[in-house]
Parts: sequence; structure tokens; C-alpha cells
Amino acid sequence: TGRLAAPRPGYAPAAWAERCLPGSSAGARRAALRLRGRTYPAPPAVAPRSLLVAADLRGAHRACLSRGGEQRAGFAAGDSWICKSVLSEGHQRTVRKVAWSPCGNYLASASFDATTCIWKKNQDDFECVTTLEGHENEVKSVAWAPSGNLLATCSRDKSVWVWEVDEEDEYECVSVLNSHTQDVKHVVWHPNQELLASASYDDTVKLYREEEDDWVCCATLEGHESTVWSLAFDPSGQRLASCSDDRTVRIWRQYPPGNEQGVACSGSDPSWKCICTLSGFHSRTIYDVAWCQLTGALATACGDDAIRVFEEDPSSDPQQPTFSLTAHLPQAHSQDVNCVAWNPKERGLLASCSDDGEVAFWKYQRPEGL
Amino acid sequence: MAGSQDMFDAIVMADERFHGEGYQEGYEEGSTLGIIEGRQHGTLHGAKIGSEIGCYQGFAFAWRCLLHNCAAEKDSKKMKVLESLIGLIEKFPYDDPTYDKLHEDLDRIRGKFKQLCSLLNVQPDFKISVERSGLSF
Repeated sequence: TGRLAAPRPGYAPAAWAERCLPGSSAGARRAALRLRGRTYPAPPAVAPRSLLVAADLRGAHRACLSRGGEQRAGFAAGDSWICKSVLSEGHQRTVRKVAWSPCGNYLASASFDATTCIWKKNQDDFECVTTLEGHENEVKSVAWAPSGNLLATCSRDKSVWVWEVDEEDEYECVSVLNSHTQDVKHVVWHPNQELLASASYDDTVKLYREEEDDWVCCATLEGHESTVWSLAFDPSGQRLASCSDDRTVRIWRQYPPGNEQGVACSGSDPSWKCICTLSGFHSRTIYDVAWCQLTGALATACGDDAIRVFEEDPSSDPQQPTFSLTAHLPQAHSQDVNCVAWNPKERGLLASCSDDGEVAFWKYQRPEGL
Repeated sequence: MAGSQDMFDAIVMADERFHGEGYQEGYEEGSTLGIIEGRQHGTLHGAKIGSEIGCYQGFAFAWRCLLHNCAAEKDSKKMKVLESLIGLIEKFPYDDPTYDKLHEDLDRIRGKFKQLCSLLNVQPDFKISVERSGLSF
């Protein structure tokens, strides 16, 4: 396993944009979008808890959603973010996750009402084109494959479903995977292979691939001591980051059969080994981890209300990398930070959302000399 | 003289001897009862699994007949999954409770059944018996 990395002496933590003071009146909870000192109150119908932000591939659109069961799609217009639409007719219960399709025209929303809605974007409007049913209870996560024609959902019913969509927007279930023994919290696709990863309350991460018309579990990553909440692949897809209730982030690396490091593989499936554990940095559960596809920086969302950013030391051994904490923003929110997401087009732009009902945007600058 | 030593031996060791004999008798009786209880438990559990798979098999056969005459392209995918489910059920080793992949295969069968229901647009909510509602095994 990798060594613990402490912030290097002489590095100033990254500069952060000044965060504006809370503008809402005491006691009132309003969902607000804010950037650089400006707070935008949400339209009526308050959203008490912001659970997730997702950026589409062009970086322009952001969707966030709330416990109230609504979804809000916000669009960038210059320096400010405006809520363009509220989708309140799709679900009967909490909307837990949203995901933009790779082409940017579709939005998938996973809900505690056991369904997943697919919305098609029509200028500023969204229309629900399909509702995917089948899970027995709360759907926890949804993710589009980079190819755009596969979708994965996971649920508290311990299963992961893989769906295929054709040119006529028809969705078909391709596989139901019952590998986990507990609630599945998160699914994510590999950036360039048809490989699916899932994280669960059973403390493991599982990987799946297609084999003869069906999907099978090809690897189980054990090591976390508690629920694994979220996953993120690095830009190359060779490494996977997982964050957990055990307050650590683990970095796993893929070793294909016949690798030069001599890591044993069974059959033709690659082996995954934990090459680094980041522990001692977070004081509470880590709910989300995001790996920037542009810069390789790793951001975490923590139950201690803070956001942290880690960067890999350029001189470290690829088989045993060390990551340094390059930014730590305590009290980024006034409650648990649930989700962080990097903008795929603008370097250093990070969005976060929290139980305090707010979505915040941050500008991260790498420390000098990195 | 040797005879009287044996006799004292028998008296002195009597306590331990009775203890040992009692333990043996108890152990044998416990084993017998354990086997009976185990068999009952196994029968129940096995019946549950059998009942569940039997249900899936009946469902699959019925749908195979229904879809038999359909030549639509869409239905070919359904037939494929259907045949796959039937194949999994037929391959399952019903007479080997020590099969090491028992639960893995069972989960595969359940997953295949759920996928089939999704493709056929059928809700798996059968009433097995009067007392139980829904599909619970």
C-alpha cells in the first residue's frame, strides 16, 4: 500500500474564491446557487437538501437535485448560474442521482420511488421519454457509459442493472447482477473500456464486464472497513479511487495478465490491487470522490463539512504513488458535503452540494511548483 | 491380592466411569436428534429453493409456448433470454447441496428471471398460496 502523504512544507494551500456570507435570513433554508459572492435564491418550492451535482460533458450545464423530489437544471450564462428549469413531475420520492448522457441531450434521474426517468432536452425544456422500472426499492445511482448506449442503475435491493438503448430511444434490460450482498450505493463506468464498477454497503467494490451476451462480475475489491460510498476512475482508466465510511480513500490499479510487475491474474481478467490509501485526512465519512479528467486532481466531499483536494506527487513511483493534500476547505458548507464534481471543460472549476441545501462553485488553483 | 486391587479400582474410578458412559450416551442421542433436526431443516430449505426455481421454470415454459409463434425481431431477444433461463435451470445440480457455486448460480437464475420479466413487461408479483402475498420465498 502507498504511504500517507502529508502536505509538503513550503506549499501554500490552493487559493480559493472568496465565499460569500450566507444571504438568507436566519432560520430560513433556501436552496441557492452562489458564485463569487452572489447568492441566487431558488424559485419557490424549497429544496431542503441538495444531494448531487452533475456536469455535462460540455461543461455548460449543471443539474442538481434535492430531497423534495425535484430536479433543477442550471445553465451557465457568463459568470452567473441561473436556474432554467425545475422538473417536478417525474418522481414520487427523493431523486437520489442525476447523470447527463455523453451527448448532453439526455438526463437520467434515479429515485427512491424505485424508478429511473430518462429526460430529453429540448432547448430549455425537458420531457420524460421513458421510465425504467424493475428495481424492488430505492434506486441509488445511475450512470451512462461513455459510448452512450449503455446505462447502469443500482439499488438498495442489492442488484445492479445494465440497460441498452437503441437509436429509437428504446431501453432494454441487458442484465441483472446480484453480486453484492448489501445495498449498492454507486455505479460508474470506465472511461474507455466497457467495464462497470459498483460500490456497496457490503464494504466491497465490484467490477463487471460483458461475456457472451451477459454481464458477469470479474473482480471484487476488498479492503475498505465500511460502506464504500463512491467511485471515480482516473482520466486514463488505469486507476480507480474509492471513498468510504471508514474515512479513507483508496486508489486501486489495474494489472492485466502478463504485466511486468508480476501481479498474478486469474484467467484473462486483470487483477486490481490497492496501491495507495489516504487515511488520517478526513474526520468523518467521505461521501463522494471526483477525479478531474483535465488535471488529475482528486476532490473529496466529507461529512465534516469540508472539501479537500489531493494531487499525486509527480516524482512518486506509479506502483506506489503518494498523494499530497493540496487544499483543505473546512466549513465549505454548514453541513455534510454530499457531492463534488469537476467541470469537464474548465480547469479548476469544482461544484459541491450539501445537506445545507446549497450548491457552491469553487475555483481551485494548483500550488506553485506542482 | 490382585483380585482385591481390581475391585478397589472399580470403586474408586466409578465416578469417572459413570461420567464417561453418561457422556457417550448423551452424545449419541444428541447426534441422532441433530440429524433429524438437520434433515427437517434441509427439507424445508431445499423445498423453498425448489419451489422458487419451479416457479421460474413454469413461467419460462408458459412464455415459451406463448412466444413460439412470434417471428418479430423484437421477440428474438426475449426468446434468447428465455432459453438462457431455461438452460440455467436445467443445468442446476438439484441433488448436490454441497455444490460450491450453489448460491452464485441461484443468484444468476434470479437475475435472469428479473431481466426476462423486464423484457416481457410483466410484474413478478405472483400469489403462491393464500397465506402469502407477493412473490416471497
